[in-house]
Amino acid sequence: MEPSDWELVQKCQAGETGAFQELVSRYHQKIYVVIVGLLGNREDALEVAQEAFFRAYRKIKSFQGGSSFYTWLYRIAVNIAIDSQRRQKRNPLDFRETMDGLFEEQNEVAKDPFSDVHDRELRDKLVAAINDLTPEHKAVIILRTVEGLSYKDIGEILGCSEGTVMSRLHYARKKLQEKLSAFL
Amino acid sequence: MTNCEHIAESLGVWLDGELTLADAEVIRLHLESCAQCDGKRRQLEKLHSSLKGVLGSNLPQLALEPFWRGVQKRIAEKRTWRQEVMEWIHSTLAGPAVAWAVPAAIVIILAALSVDSLRKLATPRNNFAAVESIDAHGRNVALWREDETKTTVIWLYHNQEGENESSGENTETGRSF
Repeated sequence: MEPSDWELVQKCQAGETGAFQELVSRYHQKIYVVIVGLLGNREDALEVAQEAFFRAYRKIKSFQGGSSFYTWLYRIAVNIAIDSQRRQKRNPLDFRETMDGLFEEQNEVAKDPFSDVHDRELRDKLVAAINDLTPEHKAVIILRTVEGLSYKDIGEILGCSEGTVMSRLHYARKKLQEKLSAFL
Repeated sequence: MTNCEHIAESLGVWLDGELTLADAEVIRLHLESCAQCDGKRRQLEKLHSSLKGVLGSNLPQLALEPFWRGVQKRIAEKRTWRQEVMEWIHSTLAGPAVAWAVPAAIVIILAALSVDSLRKLATPRNNFAAVESIDAHGRNVALWREDETKTTVIWLYHNQEGENESSGENTETGRSF
């Protein structure tokens, strides 16, 4: 039977690096996907994801299990990503280019879900509209859409109430709908 | 707010499955009878599936080994004190810590004001009073006023030497009565 996250955390706190490696293997992909969504750049996302695990490793002794390990880890990662996004203010085209690149790679092995011209246009508009959202609004959309997290978990990750998550999601969706009204 | 406006506000929460069963049932029943709101539901569902398509389903797998090596490298690296401080500042100011900043500032201001008023209470009061000596047609009159208790005392006194008719803040004269 696989050890739970909390059991692995306790082993880490006792100095077992192997247990931390197991936690990394459980969550590195999920963390990476969320950060790519937030930053829109795979190289930056890789850096931020590694930094997030490094900081989690350093702080793991202070983790008391009050929340689940993954919300704690996501919180560290999302905070670094939002901070990095604010500081870097990268070219807005980066996100679109990166996502286009990802689609091209994907097309080689599977059918592009946006292969239809109309849908491809929708995808381009959608990527641009996501890019225009503030980091906080982008974060709720990604955590909800990609990870399917509950409002409670998203609130814990972003350090805000469920009501705030609800209103941010409502606002972000409204903004996206306004920009994509011709396609929806 | 009309019923349709209220439904439109709650559609996203309903689709996310975050409403109570009773509230969800109200929305479901409304959608069955309102084509306009049902159209909004379809729009929102299409947006959701498009978002999933763009954000969720096309990312390449991230190999664990090189990723873990990168994390290990960071763990082994000795960071400068400046990096440590910057990291601490960022982690302290990020996320929920900021939410504490405003109430903390208010508490500090209130505490500062309280300390100031307590200090005023603790300090013994100085009752400033003024003694004036007035020349009133050959008689010597002294006035003592105190603002705190709104007290005024008037003395009429006889000047022993009879010569000193000076007015003003003559303390020597004040002491003689």
